[in-house]
This record gives sequence, C-alpha cells and structure tokens, in this order.
Amino acid sequence: MNKLVKIFTIFISAITITLASISSSFAKVEGEYIVLGSAISLTGKYSSNGVHTQNGYNMAVERINNMGGVTVGGKSYKFEIIYYDDESNPKRAAQLAERLIKQDGVHYMLGPYSSGLTKAIAPVTEKYKIPMVEANGASRSLFTKGYKYLFAVLSPANQYLEVAIDLAVEKNGGKPVRIAQAFEQDAFSQDVRLGILDAAKRTGSEIIIDDKLPKELNDMAATLAKVKATKPDVLVVSGHTKGALTAIRQISEMKVDVPMLAMTHCDAAKLSKQHGKKSEYALCASQWHKNLSYKDKFFGSGKKYDKDFKKEFGYAPPYQSAESSAALLVFKDAFERANSFDRDKVRDALKTTEMQTFYGNIKFGPGGQNVAKPMILFQVRCKGDACENKVVAPTKWASDKFYHPIPKWSERS
Amino acid sequence: MNAIKQKDLILYSGLIILGLAAPYLFSAFKVQLTYLCVLIVLAMTWNLQGGEMGYNSFGNILFYGLGMYLTASVQVGMFFPLAEWTESGGEKTFVHTTSQYFQGIGVGLLVAAIIPTIVAGAIGYAILGLRGHYFAICTLGLGIAAGEIAGGIEIIGAGQGFTTPPFPAEIVDPEARGKFFYFLSFFVLVVAFVFVKYIYGSRFRLILNAIRDNEDKAEAMGIQTMKYKIVGWMCSAFFCGLAGGIMGGLIGYIDSTDVAFDGREMGVFMVLMAILGGKGTLWGPIIGATLFHFFKEGLWTFILGWQYVALGVLIVVIVVYFPEGLMGWLREKYPERFGEVIDEKDRKSQVELK
Repeated sequence: MNKLVKIFTIFISAITITLASISSSFAKVEGEYIVLGSAISLTGKYSSNGVHTQNGYNMAVERINNMGGVTVGGKSYKFEIIYYDDESNPKRAAQLAERLIKQDGVHYMLGPYSSGLTKAIAPVTEKYKIPMVEANGASRSLFTKGYKYLFAVLSPANQYLEVAIDLAVEKNGGKPVRIAQAFEQDAFSQDVRLGILDAAKRTGSEIIIDDKLPKELNDMAATLAKVKATKPDVLVVSGHTKGALTAIRQISEMKVDVPMLAMTHCDAAKLSKQHGKKSEYALCASQWHKNLSYKDKFFGSGKKYDKDFKKEFGYAPPYQSAESSAALLVFKDAFERANSFDRDKVRDALKTTEMQTFYGNIKFGPGGQNVAKPMILFQVRCKGDACENKVVAPTKWASDKFYHPIPKWSERS
Repeated sequence: MNAIKQKDLILYSGLIILGLAAPYLFSAFKVQLTYLCVLIVLAMTWNLQGGEMGYNSFGNILFYGLGMYLTASVQVGMFFPLAEWTESGGEKTFVHTTSQYFQGIGVGLLVAAIIPTIVAGAIGYAILGLRGHYFAICTLGLGIAAGEIAGGIEIIGAGQGFTTPPFPAEIVDPEARGKFFYFLSFFVLVVAFVFVKYIYGSRFRLILNAIRDNEDKAEAMGIQTMKYKIVGWMCSAFFCGLAGGIMGGLIGYIDSTDVAFDGREMGVFMVLMAILGGKGTLWGPIIGATLFHFFKEGLWTFILGWQYVALGVLIVVIVVYFPEGLMGWLREKYPERFGEVIDEKDRKSQVELK
C-alpha cells in the first residue's frame, strides 16, 4: 500500500508537470502570420466533404499569401490555419473549438463541414466572442439563434430544393404534384426537408412518402420500393455525399422510373464521374457552379478557379471547396477594412461585408447568413459517355434547358 | 493499520486539493479536465458491473444518452414549451434567466439520475437472465436502438439535434461556464468514488464477485443473484445518467447518434478505459481513463487521420500484453505491494508438482 501511494504521487506529479509545461498560450497574430483555427472532418462519415472544405481553405490561403497577403496597418500579413480532425462528431468539434481558442490562442475561426458540427461549435465561438466565417453550415436554425459572431457565405439549407418543387409544378402545368422524399437523419438534410414541406404547402402539393434514413446512408431500397409502387411525380433525396451515391446506385439497380429526381451533393459525390450515364437527368441543388459570371481578383472567374483547383488537387472543385475558398476572401476583406486585429472591430467589419467573389456576391443578413446569392440547380447531362453538370435554373445563368420528364429505364440505352 | 489509513488520508486530501485547484492551475484545459472527470465516472461505474460482476455491458451508453436528453429536456421544459424550442432545430429562441438556468439543470440532473436507474432496473429484469456473450451482444443493441429511436422523436429535435440552453448571458465572465461544468463533474466524480469505495468494502461487492466467479454456485449458496445483478446495473446507470446530463450541457448540442447514444465512441471508450487500467480494481478504471484521455488529447492531433488506427493498435496491445490491465499487470509483478502474501514453500511445491 505504501508503494502504491508513492506510485500515485509520482503519477500525479508527472501529469501536473506535463500539463503545466504545455499550458502556455500562443498569440492570435504571430509575427507576420494571422492564425486561423478550424476543426475539420478528416475522418468519419463527412471525411470526403471535410477534405473538400480543407482543400478550399488551403487553396485560398496559398493564393492570398502569394498575392501580397493581408494588409493591416500598412504591414502585410499572411494567413495560417491550425487544423484539427473533428472525426465528424459534434462532441469532438465543440471540444476542439474550445481547444483552439483556449490552448492555441486562436482569435478567428473558420467553420467545420456540415450543419451539425457548426451547431456544436457556434455556442463556443459565441461565448469567447471569436468571429467565425463558415462555409458549410447551412441549417436555417443556425441563423435564428441571434449569434453575433457567426457569418456564413452560403444560402440556408431550406432554400436548396424549394425551387425544384416549383419547377415540377410548372412542368405539371401549374397543377400540384405528388412528392416522395427521403432524408438522412441529420441537421442539414432535415432542413432541406423543411424547405420542401414549405414548398409543398405553398403549391398545394401532396407528400406521399416521407422517409427518414439513417446516417451513413448505404441503403434506401425500402423507400425506392415504395416509390416504384406509388409512382410519385418527384423524388427528393438528401443525405450528403453518401446519400447521393446510394440513391443513384439503387435507383439504377432497381430501375425505378420517376419523372423528376432532385438531390443535393451531386457534385461533391462526383456523380457524373462515378456513375456516368446512370446519373443522367438527376437535378441537383448547388451553392455554386463554375459557369456563373462572378469574378474577383484572386481567383478570377469560376472557370479559372475550376482549372486551378483541378491542377492543384486533381479533381473538379465541388461547391463545398468554392465556398470554403470564399470564406477566406471574406476574412481578408474584413481584416483590411477593420485595419485592426481587434476581434470586435473585425466582427463589425464582417457585419458590413458587401463584396463579389468568384463564388458569388456576399452580404450578411441579420442572422449571419448570406442574403446576396441565390441557389442554383443543375442537371446531369451526358453526351455519349461523358457526363457533365449543366445549369438549368435560375434562367439568368441557365446554359441548358431543363429536361423533363426523365425517360423510363426501359427506353434508356 | 492506522499508518495506512493516514497515508490514504494524505492521498485523498491531496487528490481533492489537486482537483479543486486544477481549473485555476490549468485554466486553458478546463474542458478537457471536465471530460476527464466524466470519463473516469463512466469507467469506474462500468467497472461495477463489467469488472466486479463480470457482466460486460456495451449498453451503459443508453443511460448516458438518456441522462443527456432528460437533463436538457427538463431544463427547457420547466420554463418553456419544449416542442417550440426544438421545432426545426430551435427556430424560436427562448432565453433562460440565470436562476432558471441553474434551477433547470439541477432538477434536470436529478431526473437524469433517477430515470435511467429505473430504466436499468426494468431492462435488467428482462435481460439479466442472459449470461456472458449473450448479455454483451444484447446490450450492444440497446444503444444503437435508442439512437435510432431518439432520432425520430420530434419533441427532442429528432435528426435536427437538440441545442441545449446556452449559459446565462448575465454572467459575463467567459470562464464561468467552464468552471461551473468542471466543478459539477468533479463533484459527481467524488460522489461516485466515495460510493464505489464504499461498495468495495461491503458484502455487496463480495456477492458481485461471487456472481462473476461462478453464478451457479453463488445461487446455490442462497444468493438471489438476479436481484443483485439488477441492483449492480442500476448503480452504474445512476452515474451514467448524471455524466450524460453534464456532458449535454457542456457540449451544448445533442445529436441522437453522435453525441447522446454515441456507442461507437463513448460506449466503447468506457469499456476500453476500464480494461486498460484493470477491471475489477478500484483504481484501475481511474488510471485507465486518465491515461486514455492523455493519449487521446496528446497524440491524436499529431497523427491526424490515423488516430483511429492508433486506437486500434492500442486496443490490440492492451489485450495482448495487459489482458488484466495495468493494475493487474502491476499486481502480478509486485504482488507484495498489493498486500498479497506469497507462501514461498507453497509456491515451490506447486512448481514441483507441475
């Protein structure tokens, strides 16, 4: 027992010393670097989109640093990001945000991927009054909480597919449609669902199937069997990257005929590449498309961004990367307008942001959401075996006509 | 005998002073320290039925998640309509006053301790007849099922998640929230320790051990094993519920499968920590949880993307080299330090017999 007590004493003093030695805090601005912090999903169910987000951030950091950096008080600074892996888990994300702020001394944050994780981090940044520009938390409820330090460069999630229902009604000669929908059990997808419910109410449409699907969506055969039996006019599916892939895989396997298929995350899932012709005619909501005519001096146009991104990372940028890059442009702009590293001054500058980036116009509403940018819809179209995403709505940017209804599987080659 | 007690006294008072001073000494680490307290509580109480009783449960996460949802629901529901709070993930926002917040969390934690205990009693009555692997697998299902069910209940936010009430804005000190949750979890830790320590000196523990070592013989001795098994599990559930309630408030956002009924992480961690330290010992789970937390916080950021691989390796190493945990390993190496007397003659004669 004697020795045991000794062992414990040594053990505890060891812990004390270790903790005390690493307890020092770093500064928000170190030398010529402005340090930003971000918890990002590098593992777990959001890992692919987490990497898209990280690539977007990295690309913008590199570009801004190479093009003169951020000028504050007549001196030029460079961006640097501290990353942690949140494992796609809100609990971990909240803890890491705390760690970034308290231990790493980060004073400015970039958002994580997905609404759920942003929901977990926002209370922390709010508590410590840390401005956070996020690019991947679209859930409407983020913007109704009265958060003062949260700014999102994207449109809220409920707007994602509302337009698709309007489009369906229009194609149906203005008559209400019958909707089948299946959404993953997560904050973002459930918000997309709320948008559809609103749209259905507005147009008097009827929802005949309303399924909730588990996270890590790998199977939705039960829903599709119902769709086959009830023949709805529109099928809506949302469940991040895996949801999009699963839907297309099983729809083509089961040969489910539905006149219109509306989804989210088609470009993040690289649907047109992975599934080729099977994904043809899928209608997808997107925050951004390379063909839009926005411009800025760092990335040029969307097309140029697309090209540069492909060169750097070897794949076409999904909108998750584009919006993440835009978040850094917003930060740069705010720092320069605030001309200070004072957190509240930076926040006030963020509040009055009004700028155009290659990704779209950015202006923050009272809740922190971007109110200056509409959602767009694109449709996967194929020529031979090469498939591409073509913008079909809104009409201002539409490069192609919306193809409706989707031909039956028996008529498709 | 007295000397040992005095040593114990020094140890315990030292630990309590360290615990009370920790948030001031390591101000930046308050949240991690709170996690540590919660992890220790989970490991220590898992050990009650997993280590002492020999019933390996993967279902304690059920009580943890239940406690989390209950605390948050009570805290909101006492003052505001819960359905409106959670509707569309917190579309409407109500603000708790300072006293409402603390009253709410107080009552919430009370409920979070009691209801999981009752649930454990009810479920235990149904499934504690299963033994060994059958019990383990049955409990594995509990957490998963609970997560899926919770993800479908609209009043607690369903798939949208449940944002717990923010810490009252009237308290301007940004450190106050961290301190509050730290001391709350430390208090629960102390209570749990005192309770487990008490059990270690009681007949109850001997009965649990008897069940672990040979349940049929225990029954033949006239012990109503079912009764004690249920009570043993209820003890774990009580503290799991409390731990969950604290974590919910600390994290601020409850997601059905990733935060509350997080069997993949918390549910596995609590078992792992107890085994790492040595199950069936008082200090084992505490040391296991501490080491595990340090490993996780210290190393994981250096091996971004590979941390779960490292965790897998750790599990393999523990199982292969320390099947009895660190405490068990120490005990085997230095039995005399654990107060075990070895009769040299007896040992030698046994060796010769072989």
